[in-house]
Amino acid sequence: MFTHNFKYTLKTLFKDRTLIFWTFAFPIILGTFFNMAFSNIENSESLNIIDIAIVENEEIKSNEIFTTVFENLSNENSEDRLFNTTYVTEEKAKELLENKDIIGYMKLEEENPKVIFNTNGIDQTIFKYVVEEITQTSEIITEMATKEISKQFVTGNFNIDYDELYDRIIKLAFEQEVELNNISNKNLSYTMIEFYTLIAMTCLYGGILGVVAINKSLANMSPQGKRVSVAPTNKIKVILSSVCASYLTQLIGIAILFVYTIFVLKVDYGNNLGLVVSLALAGCLAGLSIGTFVGTIFKTNENTKTGIIISITMLGCFLSGMMGITMKYIVDKNIPIINKLNPASMITDGFYSLYYYDTLDRYIFNLTSLLIFSAVLIIISYISIRRQKYDSI
Amino acid sequence: MTAFKTFFKILNKNKFIVIMYTVILIAFGGFNMQTSDSSINFTASKPDILVVNNDEEKGITKDLIDYIKGNSEAVNIADNEEARNDALFYREVHYIVYIPENYNEDFLNGKNVNLEIKTCDTAESSFAEMLVSRYIRTANSYREIYKDENGKISKENEEKLISKINDTLSKNTEVEITSKLDTNSLSKATFYYNFVNYSILAALVYVVSLILSSFRNKKIQRRINVSSTTYRKINRELLMANIMFSLWLWGIYVLLSFVLIGKIMFTIQGALYIINSFIFTMCAATIALLIGSIVSNKNAINGIVNVIALGSSFLCGAFVPMQWLPDTVLKIAHILPSFYYISTNEKIATLENIDVSSLKEIIPNMAVMVCFAIIFVILSNAVSRKKRRED
Repeated sequence: MFTHNFKYTLKTLFKDRTLIFWTFAFPIILGTFFNMAFSNIENSESLNIIDIAIVENEEIKSNEIFTTVFENLSNENSEDRLFNTTYVTEEKAKELLENKDIIGYMKLEEENPKVIFNTNGIDQTIFKYVVEEITQTSEIITEMATKEISKQFVTGNFNIDYDELYDRIIKLAFEQEVELNNISNKNLSYTMIEFYTLIAMTCLYGGILGVVAINKSLANMSPQGKRVSVAPTNKIKVILSSVCASYLTQLIGIAILFVYTIFVLKVDYGNNLGLVVSLALAGCLAGLSIGTFVGTIFKTNENTKTGIIISITMLGCFLSGMMGITMKYIVDKNIPIINKLNPASMITDGFYSLYYYDTLDRYIFNLTSLLIFSAVLIIISYISIRRQKYDSI
Repeated sequence: MTAFKTFFKILNKNKFIVIMYTVILIAFGGFNMQTSDSSINFTASKPDILVVNNDEEKGITKDLIDYIKGNSEAVNIADNEEARNDALFYREVHYIVYIPENYNEDFLNGKNVNLEIKTCDTAESSFAEMLVSRYIRTANSYREIYKDENGKISKENEEKLISKINDTLSKNTEVEITSKLDTNSLSKATFYYNFVNYSILAALVYVVSLILSSFRNKKIQRRINVSSTTYRKINRELLMANIMFSLWLWGIYVLLSFVLIGKIMFTIQGALYIINSFIFTMCAATIALLIGSIVSNKNAINGIVNVIALGSSFLCGAFVPMQWLPDTVLKIAHILPSFYYISTNEKIATLENIDVSSLKEIIPNMAVMVCFAIIFVILSNAVSRKKRRED
């Protein structure tokens, strides 16, 4: 009986085209959109080479410090290249600025540099900052030279080697490397969260499969259910085989999605495949448990039940960052309890902790929460359908 | 007027969908609105930097912290490493600086201590690193001047050193801003009207094609055929109802934009946003007409409209700004009407003054949308004629 019902539930589920569209195809389509829209975001956010201009006048030609610094910072072969600098007349600079070919230009007049921008922005701030730094460093050089010369005078040395002094100070002021120890984690690609919420959505959408399968075995839901109920078989066995069939369908769907996201969209789930699979299994179980819960507790028609599952899933995914990654962070930071109870967030956060953290504490916490969540819902559904009897329907 | 009335009866049953997408528009449109007030003076970008101090807050340590705080946005993160890591990942903080124990002492004694940092490699992080490096470089240079024979800084020189550092670092460069545009409000308006793309496609197209397809139901169609009302009249009534509903929804979204965005909507730019969205709404209504005449399965309509609405919004830059999209995606997007709607919105935001030459950039886009609309109408007429013949 178990295998018979199992086989036919599988067949019914796979023949329902709308169902297969929403649980199999829709996540893949959505993932493709995500990939198209987000693939460039992180590149655009990092610092790109900034196009600037400098107004070419007599003063800038004779000012070695400015020209050298901008030459070094615009060096095409340098790793620290910051600018793409052109020297132009002031009219040309204005024109370039208006056409957005440059973000701003600098004009040096009577030793005072002035920068001209069209709007505010981070690139503009950096340009202004570099110009300021040049002025400041010039000041430091003057200070150091004065101090050094007076030191030499005090010690009675009037025969100063000015060339050597100049070289030494310039070296100190300009070429002094500041070493900073970068201890940040390498996996910092936050658009990955979008794909994790996509997996979460697919896991929870699997609940719809559960609802459809269970409705076929419940007497008060469908004619097939009535037929099944009058059959002299163990009801739990029938329901269990329906549930198992929908779990299998769900796993096939999620496996296709994983293959697609890993090999086509190049999503990074971390290195531990075993843990990724366990989390996906637990996630699907959570989706299934929502399905059985909604399917057994709510006494309404199939469409409403599907509607309830879609609403729960979308709300859960919204809170775990599908429509804006910051949302997950805001909820996690301010009202953590919500995302601790939200299965979509448990799945997303589980993948996030595998990707970002080296330790497994957070992953295990999420995995356990998912299992407890599923267990609670399944027990409630079990209690509500056992010993169900109808004199008439 | 039976068909006309029936249109609104079915609409009334599906009002929840319209309300839901409107709420989403307000939520996301409004979410983006709470940015700082607009100004036409230069305001330097301030990166979000977090300082974790393990040293006593005095001397050079305190001064470094003050300098970073003065040039960055204050962020409030719980005092544990996991919270800091999360904040860095979600870009609430772009740069974290760890000041080690005894930093002040070590500095004064002439030791060069390497600071530990965490960065997420954005432009803001790079700028933050420039700030921190500049401070350290300046401090090191002045230490060379004020150190005694042993290479140490004496107590009386410490204060001098710090005030000298601050003196140098406070030197400012003059800045001039040429644009008189209120870019902040304009970018809010652009974001809102770009999002309208999604709401219109998801709500209007879904509901209208759902309603139109219910008229295509075989049994209903036969009942209509035996009635005395001509086919032409029913079509005219449905078209009227469709136009009325589209106008009504468009009107609500425009009204909402006045509430959410405010005074920029009363300028010529604002008027252009409104005209552009009007043309797009009409174009969307014709998309609904086409879908309603091709597809009669309600579940299928749901799937198709979702894919069209999400696809157009993602590929054309309604959710993620156009300048962040890869070039290939934008090339593909040229086949969608939303692309022309959204790129017009983006252009409006940069128009300094409205004259013939600037309108020349906008009008071709609007013309393309009208062409799309005409094509959709012709197609849907052809499809429904064919279907009627088959009957």
